[in-house]
Amino acid sequence: MSVELTKQGLVLSASGLSAGYDGRAIVSDIVIEATPGKVVSVVGPNGSGKSTLLKSLVGVVKVLDGHVTVGEHEITNLAPEEVAMIGVGYVPQIDDVFPPLSVKENLEIGGYLLGRREIPGRIDMVLDFFPKLKTMMTRKAGKLSGGERKMLAMGRVLMLSPSVLVLDEPTANLAPMVATQLLEEFVRGFADHGSTVLLVEQRAKAALRISDWTYVLGGGRVVLAGAPRDLEQNPLFVESFLGGSSTARTASNE
Amino acid sequence: MNAILFYVATVIVYGAVDSMACLALNVQFGFAGLSNFGFIIFQAGGAYVAAILSMGPWQKSNGGFQQYVLGWHLVWPLPWIGAAIFGGLLALPFVFLVGKRLRGDFAAVGLLVSAVLLNQLVNNFVPLFNGAAGISIVPAPFSGKWNPQGLGYQFAYGGVAVVLAVLVYFLLRRVTESPYGRSLRAMRDNDVVADALGKNVRVQRTSMLILGGMIAGLSGAVLVGFINLWAPGAWGYAETIVLFAAIIVGGAGNHKGAVLGALLVPLGFEEVTRFIPPLSNPALVPALEWVAIGLLIIGFLWFRPDGILPERRRILSRSATSAVPVLSSGESDSLINLGNLDQMDFRQLLRLEGDANDHGIILASDRLTRAFHGVTVVSEVSIEIQRGRITGLIGPNGAGKSTTLAMLAGTLAPTSGKVLYEGRDITSMPSNERAKAGMIRTFQLASEFKKLTVLENLVSAIPRQSGDSFPGALRGRRYWGREDVENIERASEMLEGFGLSQYADSYAGGLSGGQRRLVEIMRALLAQPTILLLDEPMAGVHPNLAHKIGDQLMRLAASGMTIVMVEHELAIMDAFCDPVIVLAEGRVLAQGTMAELRAKKEVVEAYLVG
Amino acid sequence: MSVFLSSLGFGLISAAVLAIATVGFTMQFAVTNVLNLAYGSVMINSAFVTYYLNYHAHLNAWVAMIGGVFTGAVASYLLNRFVFTPFQRRNLPPITIVIVALGVDLVGTFGLQAIIGGSYFSYKQSLGREVHFWGMYFSTLQLIIIGICIVVLGLIHWLLKYTRLGKAMRATSANATLARNSGVRTQRVISSTWLISGALCGLAGTVFAMNTGVFDATSAQLYIVLMLAAMFLGGPGSAYGAMIGAVTIGVATELSAGYFNPQYKEVIAFIVLLGMLTFRPFGLFGSEKTI
Repeated sequence: MSVELTKQGLVLSASGLSAGYDGRAIVSDIVIEATPGKVVSVVGPNGSGKSTLLKSLVGVVKVLDGHVTVGEHEITNLAPEEVAMIGVGYVPQIDDVFPPLSVKENLEIGGYLLGRREIPGRIDMVLDFFPKLKTMMTRKAGKLSGGERKMLAMGRVLMLSPSVLVLDEPTANLAPMVATQLLEEFVRGFADHGSTVLLVEQRAKAALRISDWTYVLGGGRVVLAGAPRDLEQNPLFVESFLGGSSTARTASNE
Repeated sequence: MNAILFYVATVIVYGAVDSMACLALNVQFGFAGLSNFGFIIFQAGGAYVAAILSMGPWQKSNGGFQQYVLGWHLVWPLPWIGAAIFGGLLALPFVFLVGKRLRGDFAAVGLLVSAVLLNQLVNNFVPLFNGAAGISIVPAPFSGKWNPQGLGYQFAYGGVAVVLAVLVYFLLRRVTESPYGRSLRAMRDNDVVADALGKNVRVQRTSMLILGGMIAGLSGAVLVGFINLWAPGAWGYAETIVLFAAIIVGGAGNHKGAVLGALLVPLGFEEVTRFIPPLSNPALVPALEWVAIGLLIIGFLWFRPDGILPERRRILSRSATSAVPVLSSGESDSLINLGNLDQMDFRQLLRLEGDANDHGIILASDRLTRAFHGVTVVSEVSIEIQRGRITGLIGPNGAGKSTTLAMLAGTLAPTSGKVLYEGRDITSMPSNERAKAGMIRTFQLASEFKKLTVLENLVSAIPRQSGDSFPGALRGRRYWGREDVENIERASEMLEGFGLSQYADSYAGGLSGGQRRLVEIMRALLAQPTILLLDEPMAGVHPNLAHKIGDQLMRLAASGMTIVMVEHELAIMDAFCDPVIVLAEGRVLAQGTMAELRAKKEVVEAYLVG
Repeated sequence: MSVFLSSLGFGLISAAVLAIATVGFTMQFAVTNVLNLAYGSVMINSAFVTYYLNYHAHLNAWVAMIGGVFTGAVASYLLNRFVFTPFQRRNLPPITIVIVALGVDLVGTFGLQAIIGGSYFSYKQSLGREVHFWGMYFSTLQLIIIGICIVVLGLIHWLLKYTRLGKAMRATSANATLARNSGVRTQRVISSTWLISGALCGLAGTVFAMNTGVFDATSAQLYIVLMLAAMFLGGPGSAYGAMIGAVTIGVATELSAGYFNPQYKEVIAFIVLLGMLTFRPFGLFGSEKTI
């Protein structure tokens, strides 16, 4: 994989973060940090606010309290296009491609911030990474299969040459083998080459396998954090997923 | 002096006609949510029919320029009755525009274009209604007996017109201030949810088109009998816009607002401009009138979209509980009084009748599949739901739980596969029919009727109300009143049990997220379900309250109600659901009690994969 | 046969004008999700600016047309900036914006009428010779209009398919949030879309007036019927759909005028529109997900 596909990472950190819709917080008092060269994952049961957290970092959901910084930039409540300019690439869980545009055009939009001459070169780089896309360049993104779509979604964000990658459940709807490959080759690979990777995953065990640090969200708050090895031994960890513990309630609007 | 009196008589007639038209349009737009941009054709149709029915046979002495009359020379009030009937019939061709599936603004534009085209057609096709020249020398009622030019006649005409307007006012009020009116407003606020509660949206909209059309036709008849002529120039699509402006100014959803708007805008404007001295450019004044109307529309929609007389909040009369002030916004959920819920006997409240020991299969799906643009979201799901049990439906994000629930409830059509209810294949049964058959579903996202009070939200769900139909509403409060009082009592009891009595008369749109979820659950229960399909009912609800609700659901199940619940919160599944079905990647993965499932490797994998 | 061919000829010029108008209209719907019923009033006002430059400033009509195009662009941009966007921020039901658009249409059309009065106008320009080939009859003027249409549609195609802005427009109308995540300044893209579609609107108004010959402030009021029919036929929000829809409607209306009665030619458009709304509101080429 080309060293230049992602830039040297910046530190992404959030402190005292509360965010949500219509003035109501779905996540509260979040403190997380993701550093270059590491994969940081956020896991937790459904409804714990993982997606909302990511969206608030990249400017899609309003931050009600607290700060978000990337490197030296303060990006709290910055518009998504400005967050992209700073070098943060975000892949949403759904609606992750432009269905009426072709694969090539999706990639071109991914490279919107690049100069015109740089785009073909970068497209070639991304295609080296996802060779399957080479045969589909003229196909409309809406007609791709689930796995192909995800590849395109990741390819789009790579066009930006991001220094921070924020991924929302990248393996959702993927067959287990493809999911594993995505996580172990690509996601882990990005970090190994120096980027910062922040990942939300439903498949907690798979996420743990490739992570350097993991936060467990429950009820909109961080309930556990630690290195995957330590977390796996912690009985609270399994409980927080399979229910029964007071730490894992769904986000309440109190 | 005489001139002034004649003028006053004219104003009275115009005022009455405009009031009738605005009242009718308001019922369609302000109460039922029907943006009838083609309203004017109903009035025009009525005017033409009244004219034709009242005219005598073609007479050479007239110069022979009107060639289309039937010559029936019907005596009043027959032409006016005919006009009303025709106005109603005109609604029928537009029925296909008002189904559930078409966006409101698209349907409105379709109606607008219809008005434009029909005006063109009539303008150009001379044999129909004499084209651009229109119909003239329309005889006024009883013009043989009395002199229509006399002052007394004109005042009498005005009197009759006003009486009619008043009757229309009371008629429409009778329709809207009834359980049927509640259903109309519910449909206006959220037609998908109204449909899921058993209301037939298409029939309701069609009925309002017909009712409004009849009144519009009548108003046209009254007008043409007075001014004795009618031509396409009088009813371009811009005339509909004037009426919309009137309602927006006066107050949509308020009958008095409609009348006020009618007096201010079509009447007021018209009359004010009469007194402006003629200017150098004779086209200037009418043009400026239109500009003013446009500005009025934009201005009111920006500054005061509810109009001068906004829609009233309906406070349903019931036996006095405590004199608790109406709370206008959802204050802290922790203030919810949980006390009563344990003591409530919902079984009696909801009139459950099932045999608690019958656990036969009540609902089943056979290889249900849903694909969307090549992505298969649900794949060959075959499940069986037992009577009298609470079945949980769980699975990771994107597993297809909500989609499956939607296909069972009928809100979403499957790509292939069948849904069977009590053995019958109901796959092609529309969702409102399923609701009437006892399959009630709730929704994940905000689905309360925002501009109805909490109590109205609840009462609207109660099925088989005698006042919840057009004929029922017409029969008046004496017919449906007592039953309505009982229904309101039941809903109030339910509200008290859930500790939300103080919000009974608050608009449902102002509550907090958790409170709205509770309203959703209460509303679903009041719909007297045989089977309840709950889509994440506890999301955002305080854990203590969630458990109390779960307890109640178990008691209901023990009395024979069947419940299917999609939930994330596995603790809830533990406590209340047996069996639990696990979906993953659109397929059924496993089924059993939570304890059994936790022991199964593949379930743990699906959730924690690995 | 000759009826067919001569009607086809009329159809082509109708289609040309309609195509320019509808592409602009549908672009506005694509990025803003609003049926801009005030479009006709911008068309006619632009036509009048052209008239003013042509008649009073004595510019050649084709040169004056630039003023009309400019007017359309600026007026549409201002309309979006100061009317549609503020109203949309308020989270009102979509029908409210349509009513607002109708209000603007009234102000625009009758405001113009208040200024220029009710009489009819026409441009000072020659129709040129009559040309005919293949049984179709055109004036030079009409041929120029058709030529302009082909050039303009070609430019739009080039814009959408090959330029950075055009792709950003398509991305914004498909998924505005994702576009922003990719660094697209969607606010600017939307403003540009209104400027460009507004220019089309101004151009359409002028060539409409040129083709009609004699016009007044209310001449474009009914044009909305044809535009809606063309747009819904091809699929709301799709520029290519609009082109195909416009050609179809333009030719169909003139054929019906040739074979039946010229006074009812809009009826075909009407039937098509109601048919599409009933059975396939997402257009012949769209799918349920696109609206």
